[in-house]
Formats: sequence, C-alpha cells, structure tokens
Amino acid sequence: MICCKECIDLLYDYIEGSLDQNTSKSLEEHFEECPPCIAFLNTYKSTTTLCRDTLNQIEIPDEIRRTLQSFLQENRDQQEKK
Amino acid sequence: MSFTQPKEEKEIEEALVKDFQAGNPDAYDKIAELYQKKIYALSFNLVRNQMDAQDVTQEVLLTLFKKIHTFQGKSAFSSWVYRITLNASYMKLRSKKKEPNISIDELLPSFNSAGYQQEKIQDWSENSESLLFTNETREVINKAVGLLPEKEKVVFLLRDVEGLSTEKVSEVLDLTIPAVKSRLHRARLFLRKKLSGYFEEYSSQKGEA
Repeated sequence: MICCKECIDLLYDYIEGSLDQNTSKSLEEHFEECPPCIAFLNTYKSTTTLCRDTLNQIEIPDEIRRTLQSFLQENRDQQEKK
Repeated sequence: MSFTQPKEEKEIEEALVKDFQAGNPDAYDKIAELYQKKIYALSFNLVRNQMDAQDVTQEVLLTLFKKIHTFQGKSAFSSWVYRITLNASYMKLRSKKKEPNISIDELLPSFNSAGYQQEKIQDWSENSESLLFTNETREVINKAVGLLPEKEKVVFLLRDVEGLSTEKVSEVLDLTIPAVKSRLHRARLFLRKKLSGYFEEYSSQKGEA
C-alpha cells in the first residue's frame, strides 16, 4: 500500500500515463481510500490548465508589431546598402 | 498537450533556414514572421513587461539575422531560437532590480511520519473554470508564476505553457529528461499551493455570502 507522499511523487508520471501497470494500480487503490489525494490530483491538474490558459493568451500588441516591422525593414535596408 | 512539429512544417522551416543561410532576405522575413509571436510570448512571460519584451524580441530577431551562419543544424532550429530568447530575456532581467527569490521547498506538500498529508486539501478544481477569466484570477496566476524560481519557471513555461515535449525542453535547456520532469513537478506543486490559497479563500467567502 502506498502512502500520500509516494502518491504525490508519482502524480507526474501518472498523468503522463508512463507508470507501469502495477504502480498505476496501487496508486488508484490509494485514491479510492484517500479523498485528500484525489483533491490533490484534481487541483494539480487544474493548476496546469489554468496557468496554461492564462499565460497562453499573450499576443503581440499592434503597436509593438508595427515597431518590430519597421525594425526589420530598417535592418533590411541597411543590408541592401552594404 | 505536448507539441510536436508536423513533418511538413519542419521541412518548410528547414528549407527556409537553408535559403536564409544562402543569403535570401525573403527567407529571413518569413522566419521572423513565423517566430516573432513565440519569441515575444516567451520573453513576456519571463520579463513581465511589454517594453522589455519588445526589446528582447528585437534583439533576438537581430541575433538570428547576424548569427544564422553559426547555426549548424545539430539541434532543431526552433530549439536554437528558444535558447537565444532565454539568454536575451535573462540578460534583460539581470539589468533590472531583482526580486527576492522565495524558497520552493516551503511550499511543497508536507507529510507526517506515516507519510500522510498533513494539511487539509480542498478540491477547488470544479469551481476553477468559472473563475478563469476574471482579472483577479489572472493576476493571482501571473503573480504565482512570477514567484517561481528561474530554474523551475523556465521548464514550466516551455513545457506547460508553450507546449513543447519533454524531450524538446531537455534539448533547449541541455538538461536530462529526469531533471526536466522533476523541475516541472516542483513548479506545478508550487503553483498548486499558491492557487489553493486563493481559491480556498474565494470559496469560503462565497460560502459565507
């Protein structure tokens, strides 16, 4: 029987699906008897999703996009003069 | 969740890089167009400020232009671009006042001698969706990520936010796969703990109302 500590150490590989069958089975047995670890698993997963969805939304602001474009153009003009 | 580049895309990119190395300026424009959003997003998540992210993006684009002849194709071109972006972002951060780092260990889960969790764990995962797009939640998440120590933060940004595969992250950062996994796990535990504080408070307030 595995304890909470082992359970949390295994979470990463469990979510990736990279645990062997036996370990995965003992982990699931632990979950059945341990609501706090289920809560931990759910919130661990949610953390990843929430952070990804929040930080993923970054777009280049229009003004910066324009600055970058003229920067590239200038760079190109300089090269062509050489 | 993991990002693997489709084969076609990879071939187009390799052809562009070759054209650019051969001195075709249009190829460079296309590469800049392909990568500028990725460069900007990653640097923004590290430097946390639009002007600095713009500076970093310009610098990276210029470095790509000047150093393309040193790219030998030993790793993927994208890994090379990510590495240049990380270096430029770190240079930018170094020139700024540094915020004190907090220890990640204090925020890792704690266990009693029998190996059971010591603190009460609330499951806020079901409420989190409704909270996702509030400004306050966004603020809390940004702040929590900002507090991550650099080693863990960069792995988290590349793997969980940018969606690179574990293998790719290990290539970009020159780390072993177990090291990538362990840093990512620590980052997630740290962030979970930080977000838990916020969501638990939120649901207890809601309960009282």
